[in-house]
Amino acid sequence: MNPAWRHPSFGVGAVLMALVVGAALLSLVWTPHDPTAMRIMARLRPPSADHWLGTDQFGRDIASMVLVGARNALLVGLVAVGIGLVFGVALGMFAALYRGRLIDEAVMRGLDFVFAFPAVLTAILILTWFGPGLVNAVVAIGIFNIPVFARQARGATLQVLALDYIRAARLAGLSRGAVMRRHIVPNITGLMIVQGSTQFAFAILAEASLSYLGIGTQPPNPSWGRMLNDAQTYLATAPHLALVPGLAIAITVLAFNLLGDGLRDLLDPRMKER
Amino acid sequence: MMISIHRLAGPAILALGLALPALPVAAQPRDTLTLCQTLEPPILDPSGGAAAAIREVTYGNIFEGLVAYDRDGKVVPALAREWTTSADGLVWQFRLRPAQFHDGSAVTAADVKFSFERAVAPDSKNAQKWIFEPIAAITTPAPDLVEITLKSFTADFLEGLAMGDATIFSAASVGKAATEPVGTGPYRFVRWQRGDRLLLERNDSWWGAKPAVKSVTFRFISDPQAQVSALLAGDCDAHTNLGAHEAVAQLRADPRLAVTIGRTEGETIVAINNAKAPFSDLRVRQAMAMAVDRRLVNEGAVSGLGTPIGSHFSPNHPAYLDLTAERPVDLAKARALLAAAGYPNGFATTLRLPPPAYARRSGEIVAAMLGQIGIRATIEPLEWPQWLERVFRNKDFDMTIVAHVEPLDVNIYTRDNYYFGYQSPVVKEAYARTKTARSETERLEAFRTIQRQITEDQANLFLFMLPKITVARKGLTGLWPNWPVPANPLAELRWE
Repeated sequence: MNPAWRHPSFGVGAVLMALVVGAALLSLVWTPHDPTAMRIMARLRPPSADHWLGTDQFGRDIASMVLVGARNALLVGLVAVGIGLVFGVALGMFAALYRGRLIDEAVMRGLDFVFAFPAVLTAILILTWFGPGLVNAVVAIGIFNIPVFARQARGATLQVLALDYIRAARLAGLSRGAVMRRHIVPNITGLMIVQGSTQFAFAILAEASLSYLGIGTQPPNPSWGRMLNDAQTYLATAPHLALVPGLAIAITVLAFNLLGDGLRDLLDPRMKER
Repeated sequence: MMISIHRLAGPAILALGLALPALPVAAQPRDTLTLCQTLEPPILDPSGGAAAAIREVTYGNIFEGLVAYDRDGKVVPALAREWTTSADGLVWQFRLRPAQFHDGSAVTAADVKFSFERAVAPDSKNAQKWIFEPIAAITTPAPDLVEITLKSFTADFLEGLAMGDATIFSAASVGKAATEPVGTGPYRFVRWQRGDRLLLERNDSWWGAKPAVKSVTFRFISDPQAQVSALLAGDCDAHTNLGAHEAVAQLRADPRLAVTIGRTEGETIVAINNAKAPFSDLRVRQAMAMAVDRRLVNEGAVSGLGTPIGSHFSPNHPAYLDLTAERPVDLAKARALLAAAGYPNGFATTLRLPPPAYARRSGEIVAAMLGQIGIRATIEPLEWPQWLERVFRNKDFDMTIVAHVEPLDVNIYTRDNYYFGYQSPVVKEAYARTKTARSETERLEAFRTIQRQITEDQANLFLFMLPKITVARKGLTGLWPNWPVPANPLAELRWE
């Protein structure tokens, strides 16, 4: 057996993530019902053979909505982390190269400024300005991710730059760009993946919060956060409405956090040596 | 013994002092009450804003007009004991009853003249200035007699005077009306803790029969779930219009509570921007009407507790026509109409929704129903200030959903610059007739013409009347089941 699977966090995280990704992929080809089809006279039904997880306040099939919700959650995570990773790492490495110069200060203090605002507050601000919706929400969460990655990338780049073989490579005439490509990027990739999986969980949670507030994913596109918000009014009469999306969010966030923990241990070079 | 009694005397007297008055109270009906309502009034002056919450607290309680609406929507005497009109309907004489303001000053004809002239003054914030516009002159032949001469015959003049906007103030105290109101009603203002509660106490020098309840606390709870919890916990003796319609079944099952489903005057409509393509095309609006099943919207949005309507008119009014059978749901016909209008594949549009749950829920359902005929409506939730600015003032919208809560507000279909941009000479002419009609039959017929015409033109999509869900502890009687105007006259309440 691959030793990676024996790492408890990684193993559990990977299984849970496979579950969520599987649900999202499945929803692309099949859902038990049309997740947007309303059957108002059959609303708020408990789980049954036809509707495995019951129906919501408009008689929509909750099982189908949760499956499609998984797709939306993963999409948000991927794009938001992607934005953060691409722009953050680029800016971080750039700042590290010009360490101590004005440009380094300008970039990093600018990012500090963004980072100083609480993430969800920043997102609410952006969404109030540009209007609510999934795309804007993803961009807003992604923007918050940029300083997170940039700080990590800058620190890690500086560490690598200080190593003797980099100096040797520079003395041998390797250009800055080539040093970046050949030596820095491979060295900081592991760290970025670990950070990425944690930010992935954060992005999903942030989207759920924004949708819960009514400014994230808009109806009829199913979102776990909005399902939770809708369910709130029926807590006394139909608790399964809140339980299902709540569990889905919990499982997904847990999966990516465990995965991140596991990856951090597994990718740590000091662990490799042992 | 003596010593111990002596030593106990202090606390014992204190304890008795508290206990003694409590004993007879326990035997008699309660005379205190906590009434909960959803929204807090922004101010307490009904002549300074249109918010229904102002009326819910003050109408018939703190403030009174010459006349008032009763629970059936009929106009009854208030500060005016009686009135007469000249044969041509132009001169109205109101005889005032002996009454006092809460500061002890007498209500005189001069106060009436002052109040009405203040309402139409250029700096007046009165939300219903139309009430006073027909007035040519106000004279005060005697301290208890007001004579009002109209510019032209106005059939709904008296009904206008029954609204909270025609409250009688005294010049001495009107300045404080917004925050420390001094009125003439059966309850005087005591204290207002903003954001939480407002206290009223019985005015024992009121002209009417002595109300049964002595002190009343209004509490403001906007969250529907918190409303239910407050009722179940006994923090509220009644909620005047519960927001959590999905909890009605649960509350009905509670033996301590009585639930009454009534009607407000809130026509809930999908307002369409009639001035904008493609909605300027009648066939498009008709197609939309044939795609939207108002019975299902009523079920899904307000648990079926509303009353479906086929026009912009309240079933509470005697002129009401049931037009819900016009343009029944027919998707094939709707698609054909859209194709005839040049949209065989439908079109994309937006549905801008204000915050209330009825609007957001109706919006999701309506968008899904329109989707069946290819009209792809993107939902855009807005906060009230944004909605008022963009949709209501700037007319920057395709469709929206809102309840128009003023009584007999069909005149909005005659306004040239109103947000949904509807124009109809037929409606304008008929509305003018409702003002000049000399007989009630003629007046009602004019209102029916308006209803038929706006349904014929499908000016908007008419969904349902917002329900009024009254929940009260058993034993509390007298709350209005319907809201011809949003009001909770406390003098009519008693514990049994």
